[in-house]
Amino acid sequence: MEYVNPLTGFRLDGRRPNEMRQIRGEIGVVAKADGSALFEMGNTKVIAAVYGPREVRNKGQQINNQALVRCEYGMANFSTGDRRRKPKGDRRSTEISLVIRQTMEACILTHLMPHSQIDIFVQVLQADGGTRSACINAATLALADAGIPMRDIVTSCSAGYLCSTPLLDLNYVEDSAGGPDVTVGILAKMDKVTLLQMDAKLPMDIFENVMQLAIEGCKAVAHYIREVLLEHTKQLECHRGA
Amino acid sequence: MDVEKPSNPPLTSCIDRIVLPGDTVLDLSTMANQTIKLGEGLRQDCDTISVMKAGKLRLSKPNKYWVESSHKRYVPCAEDTILGIVVDSKPDNFLVDIKGPTLALLPVLAFEGGTRRNIPKFEVGTLLYVRVVKANNSMNPELSCTDATGKAAEFGPLKDGYMFETSTGLARMLLGSPTCPILEALGKKLSFEIAIGLNGRVWVNASSPATIIVVSNAIMNSEFLSGTQQRIMVEKLMQKLQ
Repeated sequence: MEYVNPLTGFRLDGRRPNEMRQIRGEIGVVAKADGSALFEMGNTKVIAAVYGPREVRNKGQQINNQALVRCEYGMANFSTGDRRRKPKGDRRSTEISLVIRQTMEACILTHLMPHSQIDIFVQVLQADGGTRSACINAATLALADAGIPMRDIVTSCSAGYLCSTPLLDLNYVEDSAGGPDVTVGILAKMDKVTLLQMDAKLPMDIFENVMQLAIEGCKAVAHYIREVLLEHTKQLECHRGA
Repeated sequence: MDVEKPSNPPLTSCIDRIVLPGDTVLDLSTMANQTIKLGEGLRQDCDTISVMKAGKLRLSKPNKYWVESSHKRYVPCAEDTILGIVVDSKPDNFLVDIKGPTLALLPVLAFEGGTRRNIPKFEVGTLLYVRVVKANNSMNPELSCTDATGKAAEFGPLKDGYMFETSTGLARMLLGSPTCPILEALGKKLSFEIAIGLNGRVWVNASSPATIIVVSNAIMNSEFLSGTQQRIMVEKLMQKLQ
């Protein structure tokens, strides 16, 4: 199948190979949570809710010198084309929960809050490829909203390689094509990689190009996320102290 | 795809501006021998001072820097007056929830004239107005129902009335001096009793439930209004009451 048109260079949804989908972020969507955010990448919509830092529920898991970070990834029944029967607990969800937890744990300054627990709940409302990245971006916004001390903003983006072209931000159709899918998560200002995952195979030199493309995508997301955070924080400050 | 790398503005232009996690606000290698005090939201990373929380960077001359932000969770700090809810009682301490990372301990003797013979009996769920004595991130915070000299000074259980939760920023605004416009305007027309905790809990008591409701709703709605808007809102509420 022609994922990249050889004549025009457009992909199936009309994007160019190095174009991301439209992104949108909103903070404060879950009133009860300490921090929450909604993040959309094209048709992929994800909500993240953060609770904490709060008292550890299960004393056995308490860590003496840092906070315990827990993460749960779930997909709504209606998020994919066919209704899902098991929203959580299946292998893929467990794996993605672990990935998100490790990525966020790298950026949260856990040593400042020993004996406490931070819960990150991510729920996919609509899945169209790149759910992992959208979840990490939403979790970053939610953590900033909750005021949890962080080293830097973590952003994530995916890239693939189809029809001999590196493609940025794969959607579901391109992802199911069977080509490689590289997901990268970086600390935006510090320029450090915290997540790097790939499935399928790629020769080393092409992998470098694809990873570089994904990193540029991450930086663009970081630029947008900074603007969203700035707007939201400005709004909070707006009339205080007048 | 061109993404500009955001450059770090020099320190003096960051003051009173919104900063985000990961921003570097100060480069110590360029400054002469000075002592700088870092408040909440800032951390030292080798030679640079970077931001941990999103908020407004403030400076108190000569050398105190901190990030002012408003969140739903509270970071315990010594000498703060807060509202806590009793969760459990042990032989030596009451365990009190203060909306922080861990439960706080209130010694059973920390009351005016407190001896082993007249230990107060607080049921689970009692609302207390307390002072934070010690707050350290590696231990549970310690509270007291007396002021520094040992007098009761209005600390202790709060009976009747209504408690609601707000953000820490609104609590700070309500406790600011001169008196914030909303409390001044409400106080001119209605008579009520109020206790504000820096952890975002507010307790209101009045002779009639209608007054309590009006005061609580007015305060909850005043968070993002300017002084003039707050006064106008109170005027409209008073007109409706008559």
